Amino acid sequence: MELDISEVSKVYRGGKRALGGVTLRLGPGVLGLLGPNGAGKSSLMRIIATITRPSDGTVRWDGEDVVARPDRLRRVLGYLPQEFGVYPNLTAAEFLSYLAAVKGLSAQSARARIDELLELVNLTDVGKRPLGKFSGGMRQRVGIAQALLNDPELLIVDEPTAGLDPEERVRFRNLLGDLAAHRVVILSTHIVSDVEATADDIAIMAQGRLLRRGTPEHLLGMVDGYVWETMIPSAELIEFRERHVVSRAVRTPDGIRVRVLAPEPPTIDAVNVPPDLEDAYLNVVRGVNQATAARAEFTREAP
Amino acid sequence: MNPRILGAIALADFRDRVRRPAFLMVLVAAVALGYFSAPPGDSQWMVFRLGTYRGVYTSEYLGAVTALAAGAWLALGGFYFVKNAVARDETTGVGQILATTPLRSSAYVLGKFLSNLLVLVAMVAVLAVTTLGVQLIRAESTSIDLVALWLPFLVLTVPMLAVSAAAAVVFETIKPLRAGLGNIVWFIVWLAVFGVGKTVAAVDLMGYGAVEPAMQRDILAQHPDPGDTNLSVGLNFSEAPTGRFFAGGIDLSAGMLAGRLAFLAVAVVLVVLTALWFRRFDPSRDSRKGADTAPAAEPEPVAVPAAAAFGRPTTPVEFGSTAVRLFVGETRILIQGVSRWWWLVALAVAVTAALVPLKFLISFVLPAAWILPILIWSRMGTQQYEHDVRLLVGACPARRTRLAAEWLAGLALTFVTGLVPLVRLAVASDWPGVLAWLGGLVFIPSLALAFGLLARSHRLFQIGYLLLWYAVVSQTPVLDFMGAVRVDGHLAGPNPVVFMAIAALLLAAAFTTGETRHARR
Repeated sequence: MELDISEVSKVYRGGKRALGGVTLRLGPGVLGLLGPNGAGKSSLMRIIATITRPSDGTVRWDGEDVVARPDRLRRVLGYLPQEFGVYPNLTAAEFLSYLAAVKGLSAQSARARIDELLELVNLTDVGKRPLGKFSGGMRQRVGIAQALLNDPELLIVDEPTAGLDPEERVRFRNLLGDLAAHRVVILSTHIVSDVEATADDIAIMAQGRLLRRGTPEHLLGMVDGYVWETMIPSAELIEFRERHVVSRAVRTPDGIRVRVLAPEPPTIDAVNVPPDLEDAYLNVVRGVNQATAARAEFTREAP
Repeated sequence: MNPRILGAIALADFRDRVRRPAFLMVLVAAVALGYFSAPPGDSQWMVFRLGTYRGVYTSEYLGAVTALAAGAWLALGGFYFVKNAVARDETTGVGQILATTPLRSSAYVLGKFLSNLLVLVAMVAVLAVTTLGVQLIRAESTSIDLVALWLPFLVLTVPMLAVSAAAAVVFETIKPLRAGLGNIVWFIVWLAVFGVGKTVAAVDLMGYGAVEPAMQRDILAQHPDPGDTNLSVGLNFSEAPTGRFFAGGIDLSAGMLAGRLAFLAVAVVLVVLTALWFRRFDPSRDSRKGADTAPAAEPEPVAVPAAAAFGRPTTPVEFGSTAVRLFVGETRILIQGVSRWWWLVALAVAVTAALVPLKFLISFVLPAAWILPILIWSRMGTQQYEHDVRLLVGACPARRTRLAAEWLAGLALTFVTGLVPLVRLAVASDWPGVLAWLGGLVFIPSLALAFGLLARSHRLFQIGYLLLWYAVVSQTPVLDFMGAVRVDGHLAGPNPVVFMAIAALLLAAAFTTGETRHARR
């Protein structure tokens, strides 16, 4: 079970380059794909999901070229796009039954799995209501169910927790973690906490390129010793932000407690604190996005 | 009402539309219309004639006839092209943003009307320039009079298009007329205006009154015993008109100009009136939106706490035959949301088909049975895009099987709605009729699927099929795809095999479109 993405580029009609030479090799487990809006995450997801052809490069599933012969991967693929619609007058069960047929499941297998999946996403009671009556969160759960219909070996989920309430989000994270033992899961998001909770492998993209890849521990290690917390007066925040990379600012009765990424203490009383994934992500992304890259990026070599 | 705001709304909408590839296609169609309005001298077809006469291709004649043709065809095609200004604001969410500003509803609808009109006028402008080129190409008269050539577009075509632009806004703000039903209603209105306008001045939107009498006078002055000089507008195949005359231009009397201005005023008044019922993108007044807007019929289920662990589905996945379930699924999708009233009317047509005399069945009930599902057929090939399901099914295998199942679902609908007429034809041993029926059975869903896939929109099929169907009920043999046109009980149209062959080509076009899009994904 191996997905091999090699030098994949995508240039859309009109010349917009969405991806430039992305290379990744994945085995079972959850890969968290992080990046700001416009980083190229969704383009990469669509290419792996065989929706879009790459302009250049190859995507192989267990050695087979999925660009030239997509159907073998499609049989074992579960894909939850970032945005998708439903047929509003079909019930959830009818919609899933249709997609099960499209995916090639036998009637008996489809029936049983639809029941189980509706139960899993907590929609059994409303399985016979038209999808047009569903809220955004309920539709998202239908999307999750359809992605799991064929017990996929490769599961691609693009911003899957959008529209879910906090409790559902936690359930979905747990589900991903549970599924990951036996399959390749790609979780694309810009919500760092989603990745933090589920992924054992993280890739950070920006401007169509893969900037960093590693375990959470590896990424955290890159900024260990460079994260500081200090208090500043409220009036100085704007000026402070101009001089430092601020990853968080919390108002307190005594002023503003800021979390700063810097090689040296930003103030005399700044305290060095353990980094979290958001700090690591910001360090990598700011290093590309800002003209002051040299100041923002101070990545250590991984041990 | 601030003209700057009006202008801003109209201009933004106009820019958005003219930057779409479809606009370029429409302009190409306008050029074609201009070119074909003045066929070469020896052509066996005409779009404009007065009995056995046609004018020498002077600026006066070409300006008048092309302006009339433009009014006639752009009022139909242009309406369908612009009837989405409000809908786009709704689907993109821009409407809700605008609704939270101080913008008045009347200013909004007027802005949309102006945008519609600008788009249509842009088409007319292209057509007007084309007409100049046509005069030079045909070279029957080398004397160019730009005023005589282009003034008819301003006087005759623009008021007609203003009414079309206004009607598009009106239709968009009345819920039942927003979608396919509105397209059919406009077709009927257009037919009425096209036909009755010649005799009733009050609805002479096309401006026949400014052209026909003036040209008839010209003919009479140049041919003392002219015979038939009745005006005919529309594509007709017959012997080329033998008589020629020099047109002196359209009637520009004060009364005629006042009449044209009155139509412009009616258009503006119609649009302003829509502000009375325009719902200003309030989704709570649109029951179709479902739970996004209206409270759900039942409360949303309470989520199980994360701690309550759930198991993964345990049923193993087995792959197997899916053809029947795909067909059932595609049929469900095709007929989803069809109202009970529609089924009742279909039943009434079926009962009527069982009871009426065979001749009446063939000429009227069979065409009725096969116009009723037009809005359902028009969904074929479009639903993945319309409901944004493309990404979900695009990542699945069985692309071709799915398309075949979609076609079969359309075929099944055609079969069911035409079943009683088929039984009657078979019982009467009208075997040529049965064969023609079979031609219609395969032709209609193939046309719907091909048009839907090509256009990714319901409209092309709705308009194209409606025109075709109208030609059949008007007893035009050459287009009779269902066997409804008879002479002495015999089929008057082409051999039904012709339509079966066309159906095969359309089906091939549909599959090729699917394959091409997949290859270029």
